[in-house]
Amino acid sequence: MSKSISKLCRRGTAALALTAAIGAFAVQAEAGTVENMERERAILIETLRAADMEANERAGKVEISRHRLVDLERMVLRDDSLTGRNTPTVRRAFANYDLTFMVHSASEQQVAVIDVWLGQLGLTTQTLMSASKGRR
Amino acid sequence: MSARPKYSIAGSTRGLILGLALSMAATGVFTVPAYASGGDPTWQPQASERLVKLPASYIKRSLEQDFTRSELGQALRDIDTEIGFKSETLTDLQAAIEASEGEVRTDLRHQFLVEKREYIELVSRKIELRRKAMEKKSGVLEKLMKRMGQQDAELTPIRRELIERQSAARARFETSISGVDMELLETSVAPESKYSRQFASNLSAIDSLSRAIEQHPMSRGPEVDGVPVTREDYVRQMIADAQAELELIGQEETILGYMAKLVALDATALSEEVSDAELIDSDTPEGESLTGAVKFFVGQ
Repeated sequence: MSKSISKLCRRGTAALALTAAIGAFAVQAEAGTVENMERERAILIETLRAADMEANERAGKVEISRHRLVDLERMVLRDDSLTGRNTPTVRRAFANYDLTFMVHSASEQQVAVIDVWLGQLGLTTQTLMSASKGRR
Repeated sequence: MSARPKYSIAGSTRGLILGLALSMAATGVFTVPAYASGGDPTWQPQASERLVKLPASYIKRSLEQDFTRSELGQALRDIDTEIGFKSETLTDLQAAIEASEGEVRTDLRHQFLVEKREYIELVSRKIELRRKAMEKKSGVLEKLMKRMGQQDAELTPIRRELIERQSAARARFETSISGVDMELLETSVAPESKYSRQFASNLSAIDSLSRAIEQHPMSRGPEVDGVPVTREDYVRQMIADAQAELELIGQEETILGYMAKLVALDATALSEEVSDAELIDSDTPEGESLTGAVKFFVGQ
């Protein structure tokens, strides 16, 4: 009798452990942090590049995007499920810290977000000033 | 003397003792009793994915549990019980021999030899099973080690580079986060986000929980002689322990061989003793010389 009770207890404990493990994996299965960040980043770049926008309007939109990107960038950097996930999106995201985590990089360097982005594209004041007109 | 003799000392007994001596000397202890199930008891441990992923300190426990449940483990336990009973029989017989004399004593000595032979057979069987178990264990640990190595080697250069980049990015983020927070606080007019607030409070909860997990006795990492070691080191230590056990089993086999040799010598000695006693008691006239018969032919 006691044997069967202990067996039942063991099975119950095993089932509990299994449920806990499944629960943990279920949480991990929620992905998309990189995609969310990329979408927000694309919107920010679009806003920065938009020619038909008032300066104030642009500043307001950039500030909203920037604020949101702070959290999204942190979510990506803290997402352990991305470690070693060899997908093109993740590979590209971690290929260049300054380009992907633009808001953090800009704050770190104490420059504007657009400066970081243009700098990563090779468009700095120095390169523009030293550019010369000529035929290709 | 309370023990009753089971055998009578006769020619057949002498033959039996000689047979025992010969069997011990010639074949040693190689008679293997069949396992209760009819076949040879087995244990088939696998270097499964589960075992590869288990925390190092659980690998040993898992293997031991698997062995205990196996047919081989059961056979070893059974044989241990049998050896225990046989030891008791030998102790009783030894005491009985010391308290007896004459023909009964010879009978008991013979029985003692038979029991010793059976004891050696049992121990030999146990050694064989232990060797089998250790070889299996060593084999599965080797496979485990190989699989663990394979998992590391499975990382392609691109994946390894990605992991390195991710580590670098996280390190950069961690070192700059306080500065970034300060800068954002100064420049931003928006209040701190819900994520930031909630993350900070959750982080302290996670910290306290992870500390509790670290301190939990069941989550203690692998240790060798009280020194924390890596998973690979721990498995290597287990392989070395299994090898050491195999070496000791080899030494025990030598001890058992000497025991068998002694039983064979004892059996030969007893056989000769019995033979001498029979010759003394027999009515057969001693070899008379021809000169002794001369008296029948002369002086008539």
